[in-house]
Amino acid sequence: MILEILEAIIFPGALYTIGMGFLFDWLDRKTSARMQGRIGPMIAGPYGTLQPLADFLKLLFKEEIIPSHADKLVFLFAPALFFMAPILSMLFIPIIGPTSIAGFQFDILAILFLLGFSAFVVSILSFSSASSFTTVATGRLVLQYVSYEIPLVLSIIAAALCSRSLSVEGVVGAQTRIWNVFFAPIAFCVFIVAMMAELEKAPFDIPSAKTEIVGGWLTEFSGRALAFLKLTKEVSYVFGCALAVSLFLGGPLGPILNFGVPVSILYFIYFTVKILGVGFVIFVLKTSLTRIKIGQATQLFWKILTPLSLCQILLILILIQGGLIVAT
Amino acid sequence: MSTDVDKRREESAGLMEYSAENLVPFGPIHPSLKEPEYFKIILEGERIVDVIPRIGYVHRGLEKAAEMRPWVQNMYMFERTCGICSFVHSLCYGQAVEGLTIFQVPKRAEYIRLIICEMERIHSHLLWVGLMGHWAGFDTLFMWVWQDREVVLDLVEAISGNRVHKSMNAFCGVRRDMPEGMEKHIVERMKFMTDRARYYREIIDTEETMLERTQKVGAHVTQDTVEKLCAVGPMARYVGLRQDVRLNNPYAAYGEVPFEIVTRNEGDVQALLRLRLDEIIASANMISYAVENLPDGPIKVKIPPVIPAGEHSSRCEAPRGEIFYYVKSTGGRTPDRVKSRQPTLANLPLALEILKGQTLADVPVVLTAIDPCFGCMDRMSFLDTEKNKQWTWSGEQLRQYGINYYFPDRKDKA
Amino acid sequence: MPHRKIGAAIPEMIRVMLEKPTTEAYPYEKIVLPDRFRGKLDIDPEKCTGCSVCALVCPASVITMIDLGKRKVGDRELPVKRPVFELASCIFCGECVDNCAFKALEMSKQFELATPNRDSLTMRKALPK
Repeated sequence: MILEILEAIIFPGALYTIGMGFLFDWLDRKTSARMQGRIGPMIAGPYGTLQPLADFLKLLFKEEIIPSHADKLVFLFAPALFFMAPILSMLFIPIIGPTSIAGFQFDILAILFLLGFSAFVVSILSFSSASSFTTVATGRLVLQYVSYEIPLVLSIIAAALCSRSLSVEGVVGAQTRIWNVFFAPIAFCVFIVAMMAELEKAPFDIPSAKTEIVGGWLTEFSGRALAFLKLTKEVSYVFGCALAVSLFLGGPLGPILNFGVPVSILYFIYFTVKILGVGFVIFVLKTSLTRIKIGQATQLFWKILTPLSLCQILLILILIQGGLIVAT
Repeated sequence: MSTDVDKRREESAGLMEYSAENLVPFGPIHPSLKEPEYFKIILEGERIVDVIPRIGYVHRGLEKAAEMRPWVQNMYMFERTCGICSFVHSLCYGQAVEGLTIFQVPKRAEYIRLIICEMERIHSHLLWVGLMGHWAGFDTLFMWVWQDREVVLDLVEAISGNRVHKSMNAFCGVRRDMPEGMEKHIVERMKFMTDRARYYREIIDTEETMLERTQKVGAHVTQDTVEKLCAVGPMARYVGLRQDVRLNNPYAAYGEVPFEIVTRNEGDVQALLRLRLDEIIASANMISYAVENLPDGPIKVKIPPVIPAGEHSSRCEAPRGEIFYYVKSTGGRTPDRVKSRQPTLANLPLALEILKGQTLADVPVVLTAIDPCFGCMDRMSFLDTEKNKQWTWSGEQLRQYGINYYFPDRKDKA
Repeated sequence: MPHRKIGAAIPEMIRVMLEKPTTEAYPYEKIVLPDRFRGKLDIDPEKCTGCSVCALVCPASVITMIDLGKRKVGDRELPVKRPVFELASCIFCGECVDNCAFKALEMSKQFELATPNRDSLTMRKALPK
């Protein structure tokens, strides 16, 4: 019991996730800097590795300004709710073995609920800070959520169908021989695109467009609230990559080599390499694309990605009937 | 006395009323504006219904300050009107004053003026392409283009000693000659610049997300609208009008160096991107030609410090459009009146016209597409916030207001 | 009509990533400046004769001439003046350098001029000790 609580808090639970969030942020800044011909952070820590931590700590010390027309209760407490959602979701992902810390039989539904819950919390956050920029941002946020939610859910269902299980442990366990990405490649691509919209990475960083509406829903936040909101964005990034890896790329599973190290360390290394790979693909896409307009984003999701994911589900059903995918 | 001023207030044109429904304040301080100006954007959802500008935040009173300084010092002051088109401002002022004297500019000086003008044009257009990338969300293009801009800035620094304020102009000549043995280096760097401009043209023509941001934005603008709103420079050439001071009214050495005017027909923001990148290539060719065919001779003619009486004006083609300077002298040490009209003032009504019917996401793109330089263009405007009115005064009304304010008891208000 | 594609910039991005970045590590490496760079003004006190032409042509009123006494030239008495420079107002145009007939002024290559003390930017080198 004590061991499980410690696992949930330190490793591989909350502190590990926050540390990976900082690592992803640093890698993001370094690779996009190198691809643009400049060097990224260099001063805080060796090669700038402590820069995201330094940014977080600096924001904690700044003054917190609350706008006079804002709803104070939501303004102060909703960031905590927003922070809780991806940390809780990470507890369902198996990292150091085929079982996770808090997994149960239907936890994919819990993950879907938490994804929707965090979008809802962001909407009320942005609506509670009553300024003209955040009003525009709320409209864009809700529109974008309505657009990307359906392809995201459909691609998760496609992966769950392949593995005949509605828990993440079950999906990972069913990929011991072949990964799901070979049966459902379209669903993998749709999942990556919809995940980029959920994380608000370019070309979908429309609700917090810095040059058009001065920070979107993040405009009025400062101090501690801003520090935790930014941290939550980084942690969601880790969670998104971890979910992609667990559902489609076999999670921590891989060939067992006899080096004398315990198996859990091998699993951990495989998992880290895989999420860094998915993260790198998202970095490259984010750096090479422009932000598009909200009308065009909606058209993309509704007219192209939703039919594609429906076709993918149809294909998987045909493959199951044909006996190519068997339940293990 | 006060009823006189009130009557004048009512008579002057431009009473604008503004309402407060669905208003998004764009500025004065905004991440997408380089200089502060206030645009009230009235929205319905994401569609823009109207844009109401309010200018006057960076007005420095340069025309009045010019009346108190000697002729040569004004050259340096007008160079600092704008950082990006600084050489063209001092050139235009210099040409306006040279027209009052009897001296001619030597040929070598005219070629050197052309070379620096065109280098400034390349620098300004590269800066603009990078900014378009940045406001649209394409940071990679921004970083790459600004790294290539360093090439041109290094060349300018090697010739004149400073990257921004070149201080190369003097009356009837230039102050410094070209350095020895730089011709091959300049020609090779211009070839590099041409290759990079072609690569950026390819990116903006093929990158899907960039096309979605720039193609067909503002395509409802026709040649008639542009002519009626008196737009200048690239904002007239992108709908097909062949308006270019270098072609219509050549100054410096533009009559001798071969020059191809660049126009486009589509009339949307992507046409502006293509037009300015093509202008970079045309400028690079002009610089290579001028550097290889530089005539020999003196670079400066010494003129007396007192300019004879008269009035003269001159026009030049800045990177943003047409600059117009008018100079009036009464034979003293300082000018009597200098008027400078910058291109952004002429292009701003066109930008507001383009924005009607577009979405909020297009505002930074369109406001940058006209290549604004609010620091140059600023003028004074009057506001009455209690009555929600905004208007402008003519020069005569301003002068009368000053007389009435300082001498309320004078009988002859002249 | 060129072919539209997503990620048209990716090949160039990979190429740039594998090359050396263009950032100059400025405080840790020295910058190479061209010959004509106009930095801080410098005066050679030996060559200055106090003719005051530099103070007349300066657009920013940086130069003030200080009266230091009189000297006899033939049977006339002429004032002796030397310049004092308020370099905080200098606009680095180089008019004084061009107009000095004795070549006493030059623009050096020093550009790191930030200082917390405004008095340190007043140059009194031309005054006698």
